[in-house]
Amino acid sequence: MQASRLESGGAIDRSSSIEFFFDGRSLRGYPGDTLASALLANNVSIVARSIKYHRPRGILSAGLEEPNALVACADETGNLIPNLKATEVWLQPGLKAHSQNNWPCLKIDVGALLQLFSRFLSAGFYYKTFMWPISGWPRVYEKLIRQVAGQGRISLAADKKCYDRRQASCDTLVIGAGSQGIVEALAASGRNELVLLVDQDSGVGGSSQWDLQPGDAGNQQQWLKQKLIQLEQASNIRCMTNTLAFGQYDHGLVLVVEQHKSGVHSIYWRIRAKRIVLATGSIEQPLIFPGNDRPGIMLAAATRQYIYRFAVKPGRRAFLAIIDPEDRAATAAALVHAGVEIVGELGEGEVISATTGRYRLKKVYVLSRQGQQKAYQCDLLCVSAGWIRNSDLSPQIGKYRFEDAGNSQGQAHEGGAWSFVDYQNDVQGSDIEIAVHEGFSHVEHTKRYTTVGMGTDQGKTSWYGTTQALADLTGRQFGSISRTTIRPPYSPVSFGALAGAHTDQHMVPVRRSPFHSALEEYSCVFQTSGEWLYSRYFPVADESMTDAVRREVFAVRNAVGCVDMSTLGKVDVKGSDAIRFLSRVYCNDIENIQAGRLRYAVMLREDGMVFDDGTVSCLADNHFLITMTTANSASVWRWLNRLLQVHWPQLDVQLTLVSDHYASLAIAGPNARVLLADMSPDFKCNKGDFPFASVRTGWLDEKVSCRVFSLSYSGESSFEINVPARHAHWLYQRVIELGADYGITPYGLEALDVLRIEKGHISVGAEIDGRTTPQDLGLANMVSIHKDFVGASLLQRPVLKDTNRLQLVGLVPVDDTCDIPTGAQLVDQKWRAGDVMNSIGRMTAAINSPTLGCSIGLALLKCGHHRAWDTLWAASPIENRSTEVRVVDRCFYDPGGSRLRD
Amino acid sequence: MLLIPCPNCGERDEGEFNYGGSARVFPPIEKMAPVEDWHRSIHFASHEQGQVHEYWYHHGGCEYWIEIKRNLHNHEIASVKATRSDTDRSGT
Amino acid sequence: MKYSAFSLLRNGFDRDSRWSSILPSVTLKDRYDIIIVGGGAHGLACAHYLARNHGITDVLVLDSAWIGGGNTGRNTAIVRSDYLLEASFKLKNFSLELWKSLSQELNYNVMYSPRGYIDLAHSDGELEHFMCRANAMRLSGARAEILSPQQIESLEPSINLHTKSRFPVSGGLFQPDGGVVRHDAVAWGFARSAGRAGIDIVQNSGVSGFGVRNSRINWVQTVRGKIHCDKVLITAAGASSELARLAGFELPVEMINVQAFVSEPVKPVLDKVINYNAGLAYISQTGKGELVMGGATDGYPSFARRGSFSRIEDTLVRALQIFPFLSNLRLMRHWSGTADIPMDGNAIVGKSPLENLYLNCGWGYAGFKATPAVGWTMAELLATDRLPDLLAPFALDRFKSGALIDDAGIGPYPWLH
Repeated sequence: MQASRLESGGAIDRSSSIEFFFDGRSLRGYPGDTLASALLANNVSIVARSIKYHRPRGILSAGLEEPNALVACADETGNLIPNLKATEVWLQPGLKAHSQNNWPCLKIDVGALLQLFSRFLSAGFYYKTFMWPISGWPRVYEKLIRQVAGQGRISLAADKKCYDRRQASCDTLVIGAGSQGIVEALAASGRNELVLLVDQDSGVGGSSQWDLQPGDAGNQQQWLKQKLIQLEQASNIRCMTNTLAFGQYDHGLVLVVEQHKSGVHSIYWRIRAKRIVLATGSIEQPLIFPGNDRPGIMLAAATRQYIYRFAVKPGRRAFLAIIDPEDRAATAAALVHAGVEIVGELGEGEVISATTGRYRLKKVYVLSRQGQQKAYQCDLLCVSAGWIRNSDLSPQIGKYRFEDAGNSQGQAHEGGAWSFVDYQNDVQGSDIEIAVHEGFSHVEHTKRYTTVGMGTDQGKTSWYGTTQALADLTGRQFGSISRTTIRPPYSPVSFGALAGAHTDQHMVPVRRSPFHSALEEYSCVFQTSGEWLYSRYFPVADESMTDAVRREVFAVRNAVGCVDMSTLGKVDVKGSDAIRFLSRVYCNDIENIQAGRLRYAVMLREDGMVFDDGTVSCLADNHFLITMTTANSASVWRWLNRLLQVHWPQLDVQLTLVSDHYASLAIAGPNARVLLADMSPDFKCNKGDFPFASVRTGWLDEKVSCRVFSLSYSGESSFEINVPARHAHWLYQRVIELGADYGITPYGLEALDVLRIEKGHISVGAEIDGRTTPQDLGLANMVSIHKDFVGASLLQRPVLKDTNRLQLVGLVPVDDTCDIPTGAQLVDQKWRAGDVMNSIGRMTAAINSPTLGCSIGLALLKCGHHRAWDTLWAASPIENRSTEVRVVDRCFYDPGGSRLRD
Repeated sequence: MLLIPCPNCGERDEGEFNYGGSARVFPPIEKMAPVEDWHRSIHFASHEQGQVHEYWYHHGGCEYWIEIKRNLHNHEIASVKATRSDTDRSGT
Repeated sequence: MKYSAFSLLRNGFDRDSRWSSILPSVTLKDRYDIIIVGGGAHGLACAHYLARNHGITDVLVLDSAWIGGGNTGRNTAIVRSDYLLEASFKLKNFSLELWKSLSQELNYNVMYSPRGYIDLAHSDGELEHFMCRANAMRLSGARAEILSPQQIESLEPSINLHTKSRFPVSGGLFQPDGGVVRHDAVAWGFARSAGRAGIDIVQNSGVSGFGVRNSRINWVQTVRGKIHCDKVLITAAGASSELARLAGFELPVEMINVQAFVSEPVKPVLDKVINYNAGLAYISQTGKGELVMGGATDGYPSFARRGSFSRIEDTLVRALQIFPFLSNLRLMRHWSGTADIPMDGNAIVGKSPLENLYLNCGWGYAGFKATPAVGWTMAELLATDRLPDLLAPFALDRFKSGALIDDAGIGPYPWLH
């Protein structure tokens, strides 16, 4: 039985009752109830325990400003969602709600003992103690405090609810569908604007639906009914209810979360509006007096809402402490309507001096101006200090200041025990006093020191009282004290909703090469590399990655392998100034490049550091194709565009990004050339006609257009075959088919890395780390002395020419049965466990070379180019070992380069 | 999220753009400008009382580099222009 | 009065007694030996160490608003020293040493809690880089380990690394001494200590000009008038550029907006501090129970101290990859600060073009962890005019000489750092 439900009235649906649970107890309510109204209807007065002192708390308000009634509710999958306000939870059949932060139970909470120690636990007490012993804070005190702090508990179970993100735009966005908002929306609609009207409540009309002014009820209802019809009929107004506008951002952007749509738990909308109207009404403020937090103390407007909207009888005997006479009259009328006895009202000059009642208000003590004290027996105390405008969504231009409501008479901050200024964080008036006394009188300091306003209610019912207290304590004008910076969200919004469907694999899109399906057919194991899914290795039978890589490397060095190179950036460059442009961009000489030839090229940043490396191929007069590394593809493209558009707009150059247009497969190995010939290109591909460092354009098999580059990353004779991306699958199969006779072996990133390290080729991310110059990397002979280029000037800075810089070298172990630890630091002496030493460099790559049969590595070593044949130590304290190494030339394999010219 | 008024595409969300630093002039290339010139050009941004001229690149649209004048205190965009003009491409 | 459990008890029993203000009222003089412009943690730490290490107390700290109100009060309060480059590592590691006993030194609980910091790697190649970093740290005597995903999961039970995710984690670098500190308390603790030593700290007094003659600053202009001085330190983060301009030179920095956000407070669920590297997201849990998260900067300059919400979304979706349970928590508040980021991403500390003007700026969003070390070394520089070794690499002239300290190798693009 719902003991405190009125027999008739309310916007609830009495035709079907709903069973719900609170702390395991079965209760009943109706559709249209919030959890708060249903609990009140069932005469449940204590709903929570406060965070610090574990004081029993009830329901103060009927909206998002609720500071006390925090509960945890199970979602449809059974996970407990903590910290929900009972006033924002709509009653659903089977709803399971639990109180938080109490033990062993809500009624008998051991934590309440903390109230006995309150005088030692005032604001900032934890800064003044917990300092001894030194390890005491992390080992003991912090652990204790963390257990006691925090509101609800979150389970680690994954969230299975469904969310979505959407966008909308409109001419006018009206936030708040109360009477003011409705009027604004209709006016905008009348001007033929596209209007969005949002409200976080379940229906349109706001408080005018139930906050009936005595004597005017009929007109109000009539007016509302009319407006609702108009809203319905206006085709250019869209109403979104259960939609919380939580933040306003630049250029007309408002972010909202819409709840309770079928199929989707919530939708996060980004709304761009040309005009935004805030019709968010006002928030009623409580009074501050000793014992102002007991269950049964409720804001006046909330009382009226519970009576009229939810048909709840909030108490049996009520006392009114309401400043505004109209509010007082309206509340009194509502109470009469609900059959509640009114035992008294706070008069002029009177203050409340104390309240009693452990789990529910019992008595209110009133002190008259003359000093006489009178007690009133009541279980409901309706309070109101007045209203403050709800402007939390205003953009933060300057500071927001309260308009002095002119209600300061009689309600100056009243000291005394348990006079709460912030209910949720258990901040009392005395805490504000302590803060001011200790130097924290600037409102931002007061907030951080006492934690006032830092709870999940964002201080909606705290700031007025706090400002009042600060004004009294510091002698400042009320109106001169600004609020702390108002930060979104207006009320907490679900992380799940904000993430939408961008979870798991869908966080950011996956990029696949045009060969992807072909690679899958050959049992490729893929690797996430940046945004790409890249071929890592191709295991045969049950072989391990190490064995697969060995086999792949062997195949490339002795037969032929094929590897997907499609992810490299490619730009087509045309124009009468094309070579001039490229000459400025790359640090090496390329002006004399001939048609049909290509050149390895290095690009520097403006500050002289190596930015990217790739190739420049001359296709014809004034026509080039350049490549960039995968990782820098986007930034190089951006950079080239910038140079041409911003800095050198007079150059006649046209760029076309063709990275995704061509699929690129490299075939590498002693048999690469014969394999290429077997693919029937319409150009000659013998060594004389198609030498190393050249490019040919034509057709394969008279069917597929192609461009083939003879260049080598691996150190073997190699041809990168480019075809239009849609022919990728064909090309791959063709290569595998024709290559069968030559021992064709697909290989991936792992083998590619081994091969390039054996050749001493540099790689972005390893040797090219954004801090190395071309000279550091042993490419001094590539830096042109004949021309100006980007980076040339700043390369001349003295520190960049210092010989004591980290310089690229090769390393081999002195004892070739040992291996060089990966990620090792280089030191001059043998490292032993516990040694503290200066590092003189670090490894950039270390492998067990299948080709050379020993461990090799590349490293950046101080003064490396002048230390050839020196021995030093590669130390890895992480692996607890160090290996003696010798400095050698970084090209370990075929230094003369005869193999790649084959 | 800022709305950036691309001269070609209209107002687009900042997510379609890359910020490219405050507007600056590179020393003339092919003239071997001294270290001091390049150092001044790339190492200093210019904010005059919170108003800046800056470059944005419309990667998710027309791929133009544009120059906007923006107030850093309130994000108001006072002017915008494409950095290049198609009539400029006369060659050298 | 000294802070302690005993004095807390005594004060609690005596209803009339009050603690004294941490900011005693000041009668502003018209001359000081040293003026520190900027009342954030760095400036206040410098004041404290001037008094403590060098006995210098004729010092004035000026702040344009409330002390600790800039980046000190806005950062995510993580302390660690796992940087690759020696210069960055050494200063931050010295700082970590000082954090360990700072509460005791200041007699103010700054709540240093070495929960342990884990940096996640998303590929074997990345893990190899981390190995390099960890080895560098160990060679210098700092503690560091490389962990496998399984080891990370057992160290931090709330993290989920085994469910298929977009950028799978291949391992991580663990610094056991890294952790969290209560950022506000740091400013307040240093302020109280400096104040007790007799140093004047004045709020709501911005500097609007300098009196410069013959490359020396003779006086500082504030709303309260001209104040003469022997030495000036600019340590004002986002306001440093403007102050430098008033003193007649430019700083190679850009002011980039950076954001952070918190969930509603919950009971302890996350112990360690975790950094996710594929696009950046870092997360820890405060003593009060909020999960605090941050990520990449907004990528463009702003003084508005409000950011682009898409960064919050980007950070959040990454945190969700490794902590799926976050989906059931709610965003309680998000905020911004102005990160002054120089052209190589590292701070500018030391001398300026003016003879008696010293700089401490350009800390971007990585300054908080360096607080005590910065205070200590800047105090030494101000007191003795000798540049401590730890500060030498951070010189302003390194952009001209080429001695850059670019931890991430990104280049002269502050918005990318």
